[in-house]
Amino acid sequence: MAATLTANDDVLRRLLPRLPAGVWSLSGFSVVWFGGIVIPLLAIILVSFFQGRGIRINIDPTFLQYERFFSYGGGDLLARSVRIAATITFIELMIAFPFALWLAKGCKNNMVRLLTFTALTVPFFLSPAARVIVWRSVFGINGVVNQALLGIGAVDEPVTWLIFSEFAVHFGFLGAFFPTMVWPIFLSISLIDNDFLEASNDLGANRFRTLVHVIFPLALPGVVAGIVFTFIPMLGDTVVAQHMGGNNVLMLSAQVQSLIGVSNFLVAAALAAVVLGIMLAFQVLLWAALKPVGGLNEVFANLRR
Amino acid sequence: MANSDVAALRTAGSDGDQILQVEHATHRFGDVVALDDVSITARRGEFLTLLGESGSGKTTLLRIVAGLERPTRIARIAIDGEDVSAIPASRRNCTTVFQHYALFPHMSVGQNVEYGLRVRGIDRDQRRKRAEDALTLVRLLDKYGRRVHQLSGGERQRVALARALITEPAILLLDEPLGALDEKLRVDMQVELLDLHEKLGLTFIYVTHSQEEALTMSDRIILMRRGRIVQEGPPTDLFDRPASRFVADFMGVENLLEGTIESVQNGTASVRIGGHVISGAWSGAGPAEKGAAACVAVRAERVRLAPHGVAIDEPGVNTLPCTSGATIYKGKYLDQTLDTDIGPVKARIWDRGVDVNDLEALWWRESECAITSNENGAGAGSGDDA
Repeated sequence: MAATLTANDDVLRRLLPRLPAGVWSLSGFSVVWFGGIVIPLLAIILVSFFQGRGIRINIDPTFLQYERFFSYGGGDLLARSVRIAATITFIELMIAFPFALWLAKGCKNNMVRLLTFTALTVPFFLSPAARVIVWRSVFGINGVVNQALLGIGAVDEPVTWLIFSEFAVHFGFLGAFFPTMVWPIFLSISLIDNDFLEASNDLGANRFRTLVHVIFPLALPGVVAGIVFTFIPMLGDTVVAQHMGGNNVLMLSAQVQSLIGVSNFLVAAALAAVVLGIMLAFQVLLWAALKPVGGLNEVFANLRR
Repeated sequence: MANSDVAALRTAGSDGDQILQVEHATHRFGDVVALDDVSITARRGEFLTLLGESGSGKTTLLRIVAGLERPTRIARIAIDGEDVSAIPASRRNCTTVFQHYALFPHMSVGQNVEYGLRVRGIDRDQRRKRAEDALTLVRLLDKYGRRVHQLSGGERQRVALARALITEPAILLLDEPLGALDEKLRVDMQVELLDLHEKLGLTFIYVTHSQEEALTMSDRIILMRRGRIVQEGPPTDLFDRPASRFVADFMGVENLLEGTIESVQNGTASVRIGGHVISGAWSGAGPAEKGAAACVAVRAERVRLAPHGVAIDEPGVNTLPCTSGATIYKGKYLDQTLDTDIGPVKARIWDRGVDVNDLEALWWRESECAITSNENGAGAGSGDDA
């Protein structure tokens, strides 16, 4: 921030209290964060307690929007969304950790590594909708899979649960959120000095024990980051549920969007507030889960060695 | 070297007391030959040092013993009589103290020390007790609960030692363990390591590039260069009887004078350098051959000065007329360069009473210099038949 103020440096020096650049950039950041993020969020929460009357809005606080939401099956929607996001996050972790370990420590071939990096970024080249919609032609009633199954006579009529089902939604999420889990874990494993692995081996630990006692704890910052950046954006994702689940698998964020689409801003706000609440609860849960290993600070302090 | 006596007594002539046998180990990293057909043995309880500059293969050899490196080719490697070629590092009866300690940053000092026992499934109470014993051994008992990053370099070093010792290995491998410490701490740790070696009676295999460290600590030194052994023997051998010019240079001999062997008699060689003939004990690896190039190795502290008009009335000395050159003040002594007609010779002067501007000659006893082969590359010395 300080650097941008050079034009009227002298004047500004006299006007502004002499504070170190760090304080200015911090306060600058705070202003942006507060104005750009906190205020809109607070506004959403505020609006969710309002009541609509025709096209006017009544500002007497009420839980009406929440009652509406829950009375129209909102509880199921909530449970389903969290269940799917948690399941996918768990599956991603199970796949991504060994993959990241291989990429960081096992893969000695630089060409293979480079190609893998590229492959991991490819999904970001396409729009989210485009990369999801492709699966329709694979899993649809007349899709590739069904054609094949019919062709070899494995089924008599097309399998319907391949698309617009929870299976399809899971599948859609799995591909879309793989890189977000792999990257942070890959980075944190890359940072583990080979000396530690050799020392562990030298002291009598086999590969499994080295994984449990040395690699995993030292990769924990990456695992935490991976979980956060997979679970939370997935809860906010509107594309996969809509295109892969259709009306059979409704999820929170897609529902917020469709409510906005029909100008039902108040229930949408209530729904968004619920999503916010879940994300907050998730952070608290994560914080609590890291308590036994010394808390978030301690986990990240291990990066400094 | 009280240690070498003890070790010699322990091993008195029995082959069965070789705790380590490495036979014909070769290791390549791509096209680079890091280790070229090297064989070594270590006696039980010995303090064996692998000495050499970086890239000499000493660390590779240590890692092969530890099992952290799989040699390209090896005839046999045995620890305590058991062939371990197919046994992974985790199940070999030896542990390593790493150059940069490699203490686990996410564990406390105590957890680090206990690690070897933890992975062996030993229960918590016993682990704690043995960790405390090990920490007592390195005088760090009060640091049990500390985090690694709260320790000083010397303390980390001692934790790494305790961690390696706790599983009671047959051999302790130390990879330049004092390399990251400052001068004073290094000297203290040398003494501490020697005490520990004596107390435990364990075999130490110690990798270093410092000839001074090797001389102070070892029962036996193996000097390596470019993946081969150049000379091996007790410190006095390498110090006083270098097998080649390279060894003499590496062991810090200041004056290396090149000449041709003129005569050889009863282990004494005479070398012609310019208009002078210098005699001394032959210490080269092979027999001395008349007419071959040779190198006279004289340490600066052995060079004495003869002022004008003072006769040297000792038999068996080498004398060179000289004039005074540059003087370097070193505090305790002076490093004096003396110009002779066969080139400059360095002398170390402890006596401040000497007037270096009034010199007639310099001299040293024949028994205080070594005459060795002029070999400056790899390939001279024992264990080399390629």
